[in-house]
Amino acid sequence: MSVLRADGVTVKFGGLVAVQDVHFTVKQGEIYAVIGPNGAGKTTLFNAVTGIYAPTEGHVEFNGREIVEPLTGWVIFKFACAFFAVGIFTLVGLNVETIWTAVIIDNYKYDQPFPWSVAATSWYSTIWSLPLVKNLLPLLIGGGIGVGAAAVSWSRGRRAPDHIARSGVARTFQNIRLFNELSLIQNVLVGMDYRMKTGFMSALFRLPRFYRERREFHESAKKLLDFVGLGDRAEQAAGSLPYGFRRRLEIARALGGKPTIILLDEPAAGMNPSEVVGLMALIRRVRDAGTTVVLIEHHMRLVMGVSDRILVLQYGKQIAEGIPEEIRVNPKIIEAYLGSEDHG
Amino acid sequence: MRWRPGPIFIILALAALLPLLDVVLPPKMQLCEAVRGVFLYAILALGLNVVTGYAGLLNLGIAAFMAIGAYSFGILTCEIYPFQLGFWPALALTIPIGAFAGFILGAPTLGLRGDYLAIVTLGFGEIVQDVLKNLDVVTKGTQGINPLPAPTFGGSEWTAEDEYKWYYLFFALLVLTVIAVRNLERSRLGRAWFSIREDEIASRSMGIRVERTKLIAFATAAAIAAFAGGLSASVLSSTGEPSNYDFQISILALCIVIVGGIGSIAGVLVGALVMVGLNSIVLVKATAWMAANGIGSQGNVLLSPNNWKFLIFGLALILAVRLKPNGLIPPRIERAKQ
Repeated sequence: MSVLRADGVTVKFGGLVAVQDVHFTVKQGEIYAVIGPNGAGKTTLFNAVTGIYAPTEGHVEFNGREIVEPLTGWVIFKFACAFFAVGIFTLVGLNVETIWTAVIIDNYKYDQPFPWSVAATSWYSTIWSLPLVKNLLPLLIGGGIGVGAAAVSWSRGRRAPDHIARSGVARTFQNIRLFNELSLIQNVLVGMDYRMKTGFMSALFRLPRFYRERREFHESAKKLLDFVGLGDRAEQAAGSLPYGFRRRLEIARALGGKPTIILLDEPAAGMNPSEVVGLMALIRRVRDAGTTVVLIEHHMRLVMGVSDRILVLQYGKQIAEGIPEEIRVNPKIIEAYLGSEDHG
Repeated sequence: MRWRPGPIFIILALAALLPLLDVVLPPKMQLCEAVRGVFLYAILALGLNVVTGYAGLLNLGIAAFMAIGAYSFGILTCEIYPFQLGFWPALALTIPIGAFAGFILGAPTLGLRGDYLAIVTLGFGEIVQDVLKNLDVVTKGTQGINPLPAPTFGGSEWTAEDEYKWYYLFFALLVLTVIAVRNLERSRLGRAWFSIREDEIASRSMGIRVERTKLIAFATAAAIAAFAGGLSASVLSSTGEPSNYDFQISILALCIVIVGGIGSIAGVLVGALVMVGLNSIVLVKATAWMAANGIGSQGNVLLSPNNWKFLIFGLALILAVRLKPNGLIPPRIERAKQ
C-alpha cells in the first residue's frame, strides 16, 4: 500500500527548475532513500512534500489523497464570521460618534435609570437612518476585506507545513533545527504538541485534565528519548548537546507526533563511522516500530545498508529508481557521481 | 526532593513584608505608595513578557492596550455613562476587552516578523492615542474620564488615605498575574511560544499552528496590559489624558523586560523594581532629600536628580545589556546552561 506518492512534482524558482517531473511511490513500512549529487534537488523535493514550498506542478498524495484542508461548512462559517465581524467593525468605526450620541448620550439623563430597551432600538434606527455611503457601503467593503483576508489566509494555510505535519508526515532538517533554548524533553514535547488536547483555560486554571495529560506525555517523551538513546540527558538544554546527538534528538522530536511517515534529511551528515553504524540501527528500529522512513543521504554505506529502494536525482530530474543492488551497478549513477569516462 | 523557594517566591515574599519597613522609616522616606507603581509596571511588563519574551514578537505598542483598558474601565464605571459598573466587574471586563483589542491588532499582522511587526505595533500605539484624543464624544478628549470608583470592601469605598489597602490590592493582583503567566509558561502553550521564538519553520513543521499560537500570545499580553490600565485608572480615579499612555510607557515596559531578563518572570519583577524604582523612588526621594538639605535649588536644573532621569535610564540599559545580556535573572534554562 502506498503511503506517499509524488505525481509529476515540479518546483521552479523563477527560471530555475529545481525539481522536474518527479514520480515516486513509497510503500508502507519500507525505507526509501533519495540520493543524488549536491544541488540535485533532494531537499527541495522534501520541502515540496512537507509544504514549505508549494510544487509548481504535480501533486503529492499521502495515503491516497492530497493533503489539503477541505472546504468544509466550518470554513464557510468562518468566512461568514469574518464578513460580519470586519463589516460591522468598519460600520461602527466610521460612525462611532453618531451612534454613541444617539444611543448613549441622548438617552441618558443623570440620576435616572437608563432606558435600555429604548437604547437598543435607537441603535438600530440610527444605523438605518444614515445615508447609504455611511452604512451599507462600509458594511460591504469592510465585509469584503474580511472575507478576502480570511480566504487568502485559508488558501495559504491549507497546504501549510503545520497541516501536513498534523496529517502524520514528520521531518528532520539538513541543517539541524532544534529549539536550542529548550530542554531535550521539551523539544520532544513540542513534537507531540498536536496530539495534546488541553487548551488555554485548562493550562491557566490547572484543571485536573492538565495534570493528567502532562504526566502522560512526559512519560512517553521520556520513552522516546530512551528509544534514541538520550534518556539520561532529558533536562539538558538542546543547545548544549554534542553534534552527533542532535540528529538523534531531531528524530525523537519528529517521532513525537506518532507520524505514519518520517522524512530524514541527511541524518548522517557530519557523523563519524561508529555514529553512522548506530544511526543505521536507529533507522531500522524506527521502521520496525511501524513508521515508514524516507531519507536523503550522501553516505553510500548507510544508504546501501538500510534502504529497501532508492531514487536517484540529478539536476532535478529522476534518473533511476530501484533496489540497492540495481543502483550500485547502474552506469548512469556512476556517471552522475564520478563523471563519465569520455570527458576524463 | 526538598522544596526550595524559587526567586519569584522570594521577591514576592519580600514585597509582602515591605509595609513593615514603612513603620520604622520616617514619614518622608516611606515607600509603599511608590512601590505600588512598581507593582503596576510589573503587571504591564509581565504582559509584554508574554508576547516579546515568550513568543519573541517585538511589541512597541503595549501602552495602547493599557490605554484601552483604562478607558474601558472609565466608560464602564463613570457616572457620566449609563453602565456604572462597580470596581470588580469593570476590572474583570477589561481582560476580555483587552484580549479582543489584541486580537484585532494581531490578526492582520501575523505574517510580519521582527522589525516590521515592531513598526506596526508602534504605529498602533500612536493611532490609539490619536483616536482617544479626537473621539471627544466618547473619551472626553484630553480631559479624561473621571471620577472613577475605587474598590469597595465591606460597604465603604476606599480613599487615597487607605494606603496599605491599596498596597495589598496591587500586591494581590500582581501575585494573581504572576500565577497566571507562570501557569501558561509551563504548559503546552508556553512551550509552543518558545518553539516559535526559537525557530518558526521547525515548529511549523512539527505541527504547531503558528498563527493561532501567536494570536493567543498577542491577546494574552493585551489582556494583561488592559488589566493594568484599568487598575491604574482606578487608583488615579481618572483615565488621565491620552498622552499618559504614550510611547515612553511602552519603552519603559520593554526596558523592564530587557533589564530583568527576557522571558523570565522573576527577572521582570526585579526589572520593574530597578527601572521604576529608579524612576519614582530613588530619584524622587533623592530630589526631595537634596531640596530639604539645601543642596539642590530650583534655579539650577542640573542639580535636580529628576532631570537626569533619562540619562540614567539609558546608562542602566547599556550597562544591563553589556554586562548581563540575558538579564538580571535569566530564564531557567539559561541558568541551567551556565
